[in-house]
Formats: sequence, C-alpha cells, structure tokens
Amino acid sequence: MSLRLKWRAALKEPLVHFLLAGLALFVFFAWRGDAVDPESRTITITEQQVERLAANWAQTWQRPPTQQEIDGLIRDFIKEEIYYREGLRLGLDQDDTIIRRRIRSKMEFLTSSELENATPSDAVLQAMLDKNPQAYAADARYSFDQIYLTAEDADAAALRAKQILGALGKGADWQNQGDAISLPRSPNDVDRARIAADFGEDFAAALAGIKPGPWSGPVASGFGLHLVRIRAVQASAKPSLKDVRQRLENDWRAQTVKVREAKAYQALLDSYTIRIAQP
Amino acid sequence: MKKSLLFSGGAGLAIAALALAMPRAEAPAQAAEPVALVADSAYPERPLFGDTHLHTTNSFDAFGAGNRLSPNEALRFARGEEVMSSSGIPAKLSRPLDFLVIADHSDAIGVTTDLYNTPEADLADPVLKRWRNMLHGDRKEAYSVTREIIASFQSGNIPKDLIRPDRVAAMTRRIWDAQIESVERYNEPGKFTALHGFEFSLAIKGNSLHRNVIFRDGADKARTVLPFPSNGNKGPEPLWDFMEAYEKASGGQLLAIPHNPNLSNGVMFAMTGPDGGPMSAEQARRRAAREPLVEVTQFKGDSESHPYLSRNDEFADYGDAGWENGNAPLSATKSPEMFGGEYAREALKRGLLIEQRTGANPYAFGMIGSTDTHTGLATADEDNFFGKFSNDEPNPDRMNTIVNPGIAQSRIGHQYLAGGLAAVWAKANTREAIFDAMMRREVYATTGPRMSVRLFAGWNFTSSAFSGNWVKTAYAKGVPMGGNLAAGKGVPSFIVQALKDPMGANLDRVQIVKGWIDAKGHTHEKIYDIVWSAPKTRKLVKGRLTPVGDTVDLTTATYTNSIGAPELRTVWRDPDYKKGQRAFYYARVLEIPTPRWVAYDAVRFKVQPPAGAKLKDQERAYTSPIWVGAK
Repeated sequence: MSLRLKWRAALKEPLVHFLLAGLALFVFFAWRGDAVDPESRTITITEQQVERLAANWAQTWQRPPTQQEIDGLIRDFIKEEIYYREGLRLGLDQDDTIIRRRIRSKMEFLTSSELENATPSDAVLQAMLDKNPQAYAADARYSFDQIYLTAEDADAAALRAKQILGALGKGADWQNQGDAISLPRSPNDVDRARIAADFGEDFAAALAGIKPGPWSGPVASGFGLHLVRIRAVQASAKPSLKDVRQRLENDWRAQTVKVREAKAYQALLDSYTIRIAQP
Repeated sequence: MKKSLLFSGGAGLAIAALALAMPRAEAPAQAAEPVALVADSAYPERPLFGDTHLHTTNSFDAFGAGNRLSPNEALRFARGEEVMSSSGIPAKLSRPLDFLVIADHSDAIGVTTDLYNTPEADLADPVLKRWRNMLHGDRKEAYSVTREIIASFQSGNIPKDLIRPDRVAAMTRRIWDAQIESVERYNEPGKFTALHGFEFSLAIKGNSLHRNVIFRDGADKARTVLPFPSNGNKGPEPLWDFMEAYEKASGGQLLAIPHNPNLSNGVMFAMTGPDGGPMSAEQARRRAAREPLVEVTQFKGDSESHPYLSRNDEFADYGDAGWENGNAPLSATKSPEMFGGEYAREALKRGLLIEQRTGANPYAFGMIGSTDTHTGLATADEDNFFGKFSNDEPNPDRMNTIVNPGIAQSRIGHQYLAGGLAAVWAKANTREAIFDAMMRREVYATTGPRMSVRLFAGWNFTSSAFSGNWVKTAYAKGVPMGGNLAAGKGVPSFIVQALKDPMGANLDRVQIVKGWIDAKGHTHEKIYDIVWSAPKTRKLVKGRLTPVGDTVDLTTATYTNSIGAPELRTVWRDPDYKKGQRAFYYARVLEIPTPRWVAYDAVRFKVQPPAGAKLKDQERAYTSPIWVGAK
C-alpha cells in the first residue's frame, strides 16, 4: 500500500512534524472551537467531560460506572486526545474532515505493524517460560475409575453414593455398582483437558483435590454424581523450550504488540501535562 | 494407523488415544522446529468441536461493521485465550474449540480496510467517496453502509474501482500470505487444529450460493494459490475447476461446504444443471465429490427443515423466522415453491429423485453447523453470543437491529441464532484426520451445545448392541453416520447414542428422520421418536410425544436439568422398511428448552425484548444421514 509507505516516510522525517504542526493545530482547534492555546501540551479534562463519559457508559451498561471504570474512560479519552494531537502534528488530517478515530488507529498501527515478521531470540523465550512455567506446562494426566450415579433426585443420589462407598469399603466389586452411561469407566493416562471436555470443567477441577488410592466422592459432573478412585496421577511437568517454542513465540508476539503500543503511547504521554477535574 | 512414521507396532488403541506427540522424521521446509506428529486412533473416539466459518477484519463486510481482529486474535480466542473484542470487551471462551477454519470472503478481501485508509481526495467515484466517509462514521452509519456494500456486491452493482483486478490481486496476496502464516503458527496437531480456508461468496441476483473452502494441506501447498473469487461467476462450477486444478498441481486436497441454502431463493439445491436442463449424472457426481457437506445451521438461520415442507414435523421451524422471507439481501422475496431447493431434508430427497433418474446423487451430503461470525470471535453458545457483526457485540439495542435497512420485510436482530458448531468424528485432532472425516461425512451439526452423538446402521443390530466395547463392534458390523449401508438381509437397524453436553442442558428426545423414494418416483419423509427422557410418564399419543416440559425462568435467563436425561440411547429398527427401498436416515437430538441469547440479553441489559422475539427454544443436533438401498 503506497499510503502506508507515505506515512512511514513522513514519520522518519522529524522536520515534517514541525512544519505541519502549526497548520494542523490551527485546523484542529478551528474545528473543535476550543479556546486552549494550540501550542500547549496540556490537556484539561473538565467535570462536564467526565460526566459525559460516565453518562455514555451508563447508557450502554444500565448502571453508573465505578470509579475504576471512570478512570479507565478518562485514560482512554486522554489517549485519544494525545494521539489525535500528535497525528495532527504529523499532518494526518490533510484531505480529510473525519479524522479523530482514524488518527488514533493509525498511530497504533504504526507502532505494531513491524511485528509480524519479528522473531524473538531463544533467550527471550526462555525468560518468558521461566517466568510463567505453569502456563506452558503440559496438562496433568490421570488414570482413574469412576462409578456413575444419575442425580435426577439429588438427595437420593447422595444417599446411594454413601451406601456404595460403604459397600466398596467392605470389598464389594466396583464394576457392578452405579448406573449405565456412555462415559469411560476407567480412563487411562488421560490429560486434564480431555477430562474436562468429556466430564465437564467442574469434574476435572475436582480431581486435583482427590488423593490417589481410595474411593472418594461423590464428585458432581454435568451428568450426575461420580465416585472416583484415582489410580495414578502424572503431575504437569516443567516444559522445555523446545516443546513449547511456538506457543511462546505466539504469546510473545501478541504481548509485544501490546507492550510496544503501550510504550509508544507512554513516550507521548510523558511529554504532556494532564489536569483532571472530577465532579 | 495412517501416519505412524516413528510410531512402531504394539502401540495399541490406548496409546493412540493419548494423541501422543511424536517428533517428525523430517522437518518441514518452512518451520524452524520439528512439528509434532499425531497418530490416528483405530476409530474415532470422541467428537471434535469446531467452527468452519469465521471471518476476521480481512473480510470486507466484517471490517466495515467494525471488526479489527486479525486471524491471530481469532485463533487465540478459539484456543481459549482472552482477547479484546473490537468494541473493547475482554472475551474468553469457557471451553476452547478443537479446531477452526478462517474463512474470509475471497472477494474484495481487504477492500473496505483499503477504502477506509484511502484519503478522500484520492477517490473519484462519488459512491466510494460516500461509503468511505460512512465507514468513518459512527457504529450505525458504518453498519448501514456495510449492508449497502453487501447488497451492491450481491446484486452485482459493486463500483468497479473497488474491485480493480490489479489492486485486488496485490492485496489478496498480501493478506493470504499473512493469514497462512498465522494459521501455521497456531496449528498444534493433537491439541488444536487450524485449517487454511476461504469463503467463495457467490450470489446470483442476491440469491446466496456461498461455499466455504477448506484445505487439507499446509502452508507450502496453500500458498500456491489465492482464495478464488466468486465475482463474475454464474455458478459453482468455476470453483470446482479451481479445486481440481489446485489438487492436480499441488497434490493437495480441497472440499467445499455450501451454507445458507435458506437464503438462496430455491437455487442452492436445484433439480437442474447449470444450463437449466435436467441435471446430468456427470454434473451430479461432480457436485457430490466436491461438496460432501452442507452447513445447515449458523447465525443466519437454520436450514434443516421448514414447516412448509414438513407439515407433520412439530419441530421443523427452528431458526426459520425472518430468514425465510427472501434471498440474502431481500432483493427478492420468497415464494413457497422455492423452499424445496433450500432446506437440507428436502434436498436429500431431491438427491434420491435425481439419482433415480440419472444413477448419481448430487445431494448425498453430511451436515455440520458453524457460526459465520464476523467478529473474529467463534462464539456458538446462547450465553456468549457476540453478534454476527462487530456492531452487534453485546449491547442493549442489538435485538432490535434492522438487518436489511430500508426493506419492509427486513430481518430483525433477535432473529439471529447464536450459531452452531461442526462436530467431527476424526481419528486425531489433525488437519488430515479432520478433513478425511469430513470427506466421509462422519460429522454432525449442533446448534451450539457440545452433545456427543453416535449413529450406526447395520442389518443385524439388536437391543444387546450396547455391551462391552460396543463402539468398536458397531464400526466392525455397521456403518457410521455419513456412510452407505450396503445391501443386506432383513431390516435396517440403527444404534443411536446421544450424550448431553457436559456443561449444558439435558436431552428431551432422539428422533430418526427418514426420507425415501417410492417406485413411482415420489419422495416421502417420516419422523420417528425413538427414545426420550422419562419414558414412564411420557407416551406417544397419535404419533405425538408428550412434551418434555419447560424449566426456563425468563426473569433470570436460567433453566434447570430437573427434566430431560443426561443420555439417551437405543437400537431402532425401521418398522416401515420395504425390501429394496432407497432411503436415508439421520438422527435429530433435541435438548430440553433453554433460554435464547435474547433472553440472556434482556436480563443482562434490563431491556424488554420486542414483541414476537423468541426467548427460548430447544437446541439440537443433526447427524449426517446414512443411506440404505443403493443399487
């Protein structure tokens, strides 16, 4: 796209910023009808502006925003204002009247567009992995037996579970207990994700709290109740860089887009003085 | 065991089932690290749930309506990562999908982005100038111009400047290469499959003939082509030519999945060939070979059945309202004789008719669901509906959106469905295994819930079929969904097993839908309730089963699983089968009533849904048929 090249070329030429800034700010303030000194790097958020942001928000969400949410709205508004002004300094408003949102997205784009082809070093990825090994660890794997009980009548099912547990304690054959359902009775070395897909997330989460060896439960699933005996657990192992390199690289790319955008914005933000009057 | 390579003998089922990742013998040309290879199991052990129909910011209409999510973000979301939606809402699936196909419109790919980025002064065409400015306007304005662009595209009036070949070719190459890169990065055999694909959005005078095209192959082959545009074509045949040429040149494989036959005004499943004469055997064979599946349920309605065609089916109207009013842009309204060419059940019957005449069945297809999301977010549940377009991401007004602005019979926002999923009985979570399962039609459609549904046909199944490793036996002695049951002695019998979504609603009933053709060349259909919850209290009276009940509380948008059953299964023998009869059978599984997305919105945003908005329904699954009695 020739257009993008044009912007890039312009960005590389600092003189352009200064040459266009005066005209741009003039256009900007003429259009806004704002009385602020165009040379100023001061942004003043008035009470009315904060109220308007809050009112717009409340219209969508049917409740007033919290203080935290108001702060978020203000931060966003400032960001828009800064990108807008900076964009004008670059002369991005030439030929156009509908520019505000456009300039922000373009500024954001410029900070992140180089990333698609960047490749992080092993050291960078290893550091990411060391910082958060759990996120990249392979799932825990379980081997277990389960007895299923229909739970149309919750109280009756709980009572039955208790009775069966008692019988199992006295040596009853577990294979003859419970109700029929097309779920595996003795899953073997199955990872947590698959258990969650087959039995539901709650059931998979409950397994982590069960000691291997004896029968325990009942554990609820989306189907009913289960008595569970864990035969073996293989805890999630610390992954090696080789095993999870692609995932790390994907996450690095996604995070770095955000980080670079934030840094680029921060650099601009730092050169501004912000005054906020809250109602 | 198709892809064992380093995987030597003795690795029985149990190990294969672990989807064990093995290092590849030789590294692929493009990847820096060896890609894990996953072995196929002996037979499919669990359904994989995915979306074959997702649009990112690269689709011209998606961008126009505000989508700013790239393929990367779409893939991250489908894998279960949190992403920020285009309207600034953090979004994360409670359960990841198993696979995803990015299917951006091949036509005009990236053009609205480009139009948006072009300075106003550089545009000569007054229409483009106006569109460009509206794209920069507020959400409603941008959406309304997007509808206009779609309509102009669908009716062939798109400004020539916008789709200038040189400009489009350069843009398509750039976007396709970037998409391929993303899909490769997020494809993780055994865990999550990302498939290359595109949408061929053919429309003839507004009649929708769209197809999603899916690659079995990796980047090296996908890169050899560009997504094939529909513009200027009169039918799907040039797409099939493209598919054949690709396969011949690359050694790869493609399939095409028609969607939204309900918006085709009767032309999707025509009785005629492209020349307007009766469809020939050659034409029928070609269609069946290229298009093994149909996407029968998605945001823009459900195309399994219509009450006009299926008068005795009390559940035939699911997802029909609004979408049945006419073709896609409503440039032409619908007349009743068009329905027959639009709804899957009738098309399956038409297939038998054409087969009787020519010896080849063009409409021997399996069924899947998907979303057709244009937000980049593959959401298929009622409680997580993110809207068809980004302007319809959660907000209190979206149930009132005028889908076709300026048209009296416009669809209304609340008529959107929350989307479906494609369930695939693959032998591994890999591109190859998923694609191959699609080719053999061992797939089913759901309207969102992840119920697990098995269907087998054989000549000798009895009620004792559910003992021991019955699935293995069923594969050995019968054919699974999507198959043809070869001639045999006795009565066709069916093993049907449906397990509820572990995180969802209980099941109401399982039905068998049968369609057949008689000696005089007339087609028929019949629906059998074959197994249902609470059989002690619910009885068949004059062919109608006592309703399952209803626990939906609209004031809170909740339901309880105090009715229905977690699992329904039975062996069913066709009591009406006549020897030599040519028929198809598929299972339809109904959940108990649950709140629709409109009901969730009403509670979340404290708004009153408009009159006529459906607030609850029975979600369902449709299996691919099994055909019996082939000559």
